[in-house]
Amino acid sequence: MPASHPCTTLAGKLRRTLVAGLTLLLFAAPSLSADEAPARREVRIGVLAFLGAEAAVSEWSPLKRRLEAALPRYVFRLVELDHARMDAAARAGELDFVVTNPGHYVELESELGASRILTLDSGKGRSAAEALGSTVVARSDSRDLDTLADLRGRRVAIVGTEAFGGYQLVWRELAALGIDPARDLSALKVVGYPMDEVLAAVERGEADAGVVRACVLEGRPQWASRLRVVGRRSETDHPCATSTRLYPDWAIATLHHTPPELAKSLAIALLGMERGDEGMAWAVPADYQAVHDLFRELQIGPYAYLREPTLMVMAERYWPWVAAAAALVVLWILYTLRVEHMVHLRTAELRAALDARDVLERRMRDSQEQAEHLARLSVLGELSGTLAHELNQPLAAIGNYAQSLERRVDNHRLTDAAVREAAGEIAAQAERAAGIIGRIRSFARKRVAQRERVAPSELVREAVALFRGMLASAPEVSITDELPPDTTIEVDPLQIQQVLLNLLKNAWDATRELAPERRPLALRLARTDGTIRILLRDQGPGLDAAAQARLFEPFFTTKRDGLGLGLSICRRIAEAHGGRLTAEAPVEGPGMVFALSLPSHD
Amino acid sequence: MTDRDHCVIHVVDDDAAFRRSLVFLLESEDWQVRSHASAEAFLEACAAPPPDLGCLVLDIRMPGMSGLELQHALQARGWRVPIVFITGHGDVELAVQAMKRGAADFVEKPFKDQALLDAVAAAVRRGAQDRAQAVRRCEAAELLARLSPRERQVARLVALGSPNKIVARELGISEKTVHIHRQHVMAKTGVGSAAELARLMLRADPAALD
Repeated sequence: MPASHPCTTLAGKLRRTLVAGLTLLLFAAPSLSADEAPARREVRIGVLAFLGAEAAVSEWSPLKRRLEAALPRYVFRLVELDHARMDAAARAGELDFVVTNPGHYVELESELGASRILTLDSGKGRSAAEALGSTVVARSDSRDLDTLADLRGRRVAIVGTEAFGGYQLVWRELAALGIDPARDLSALKVVGYPMDEVLAAVERGEADAGVVRACVLEGRPQWASRLRVVGRRSETDHPCATSTRLYPDWAIATLHHTPPELAKSLAIALLGMERGDEGMAWAVPADYQAVHDLFRELQIGPYAYLREPTLMVMAERYWPWVAAAAALVVLWILYTLRVEHMVHLRTAELRAALDARDVLERRMRDSQEQAEHLARLSVLGELSGTLAHELNQPLAAIGNYAQSLERRVDNHRLTDAAVREAAGEIAAQAERAAGIIGRIRSFARKRVAQRERVAPSELVREAVALFRGMLASAPEVSITDELPPDTTIEVDPLQIQQVLLNLLKNAWDATRELAPERRPLALRLARTDGTIRILLRDQGPGLDAAAQARLFEPFFTTKRDGLGLGLSICRRIAEAHGGRLTAEAPVEGPGMVFALSLPSHD
Repeated sequence: MTDRDHCVIHVVDDDAAFRRSLVFLLESEDWQVRSHASAEAFLEACAAPPPDLGCLVLDIRMPGMSGLELQHALQARGWRVPIVFITGHGDVELAVQAMKRGAADFVEKPFKDQALLDAVAAAVRRGAQDRAQAVRRCEAAELLARLSPRERQVARLVALGSPNKIVARELGISEKTVHIHRQHVMAKTGVGSAAELARLMLRADPAALD
């Protein structure tokens, strides 16, 4: 049972209640004690070595002896570890318990779920809750170094920045004074464990002051004469000189995987340690709030996240996120670069394509003018037979009149009336021939397109006249004009005439060999909204679907001697005028209907 | 010329100017000419063959009924009229068709005036001959139609040069009866000899003595 020692009534009550409860629990579970395993289980206890491994082992050997005596079913093994190794071992599940300083305990508590079961009761007039402090020492002969505020600008030796009693307690006091050790001390010399190194460094003058755990100095009489305490506080219940507030003592803690029954047995065994017998005693777990406060104020340990997040700190804490974010940023940058690059490439390609198109268009315009010219020539070529016949008419008539006059002179039958009649006819026929030649020439001539405002019906009539003028046996072409009067279109009249002439000629080609009643062609002019439609209906054999589909392709022809350019150029002309050229079978009867649609301009 | 006084040339061509020039040319040679603007117009003007029809001058290509079609139509109606076709360049095929169907001639435009005038004159002449021959045949047939069947039998044998005795034997009648029939045949047809009788019979029917 725990030894009686100075403590608060509440603490004593608490401890007694706990022990009673634990004892009750232990004996209320007889199966656990009865089930004694034949092989003794090894229990590993990690202890923080703050003075060096050997010191730790000797210091904690009473703990081991006590446990082995009280719990014979287990083999206890003390593993001396520094901060980092203890963290690693605890994390790896190699330890069942840890014995460590309050600062480290709080860190383990938050990081690994360590749970204190007892706090060391170091006795010597110290309570378990106010057992730890730090002492700042300076050489006895040092001057102007009396309070902690005097440390500003001085060199201070410590065992390490992780050390709780060896540094962090003093740090809190300095921070309270507005001193940032990293900034305001001229040097923070880390000398490492054991703590005697700190004393030695100060003694040798390598540092102006040093930080050790309270009571270290008191335990080293050889240093006590040469060193003095800086910023000594009066702590009535504390036997040693201290420069800082006091904190709970070391704790023994379970880890998250420690079996609860083992923890209970161990706690009961340790609470039963008597200081007189074993030089060590344990008390119910102390309140480590003061440690939390310290860490929170210094923003270290579990409260490191409170620290003003520097890039490095953030990077360490959130490195996977940072890495992921960085990766995303990199990816985004790469993506952006790639997009930029692609845009650049595409832009260049587009520009090149546009340039190429311009060149092509120019070339096409040229070649289209060529092709149009060619097509006009080809229409002429196809019509040449009939054109020759057509020219023959006036020429033959002229010949007849001339020869007749000669004959009548020879016969002595020539009258003035006959001469007048013949001369008039000759003149008229010569004019007629000239007209035909003129039309051919103007039709075949190369020219630049020009738009004029014309009446569609006029245009159609002229085209029909031209068509009939070119043919000796032109078919009947009826014109049904359904357009409102004054309808005009803005077109290149010659081009539209060429289209109409082509359509008329095609229709004629399709019907010229047929029975007379199927030869007449019908032209209809109609208007729907803003569109003028010129429809040409023939009664020829029509076209099958395949031919109809390819009708407007260049070089497609159903004629023996056709070039196949006519309709493709006609359609292009229609489209150049913002119109269309289509072909379809009529609703009723044989043949085809070609429809030239043009936008009206009135 | 007598011919040209009672012969009319009919010109059918759709080209008015050319038609007029043809008329002018033919009139230069004293032909009487009537012109028609189309085949249909000609048929309308002449429902029956005009007695003074010299010949037809036809444009082979015309809108509506063509020259060739008019030729068919006239043949279908039994007209015997000489036709001179006027063809364009490259219409040789059509011209050949027309000739096979009995056209008198064709001239290709442009033509020498003389070529057309010769063709027309020849056609008119041929038409007149045809017509005269037809008249003679009709007259002969009319004379022979007056004979009785027996007289016709006797006339055929006489025309073949058979003496009365042979005729009597062939027909199984007396020589005296043959003599009487022969006198009647000569009197009815107005011929004076067996040779004349034979010519008359052949004129009426070229196969009469086969």
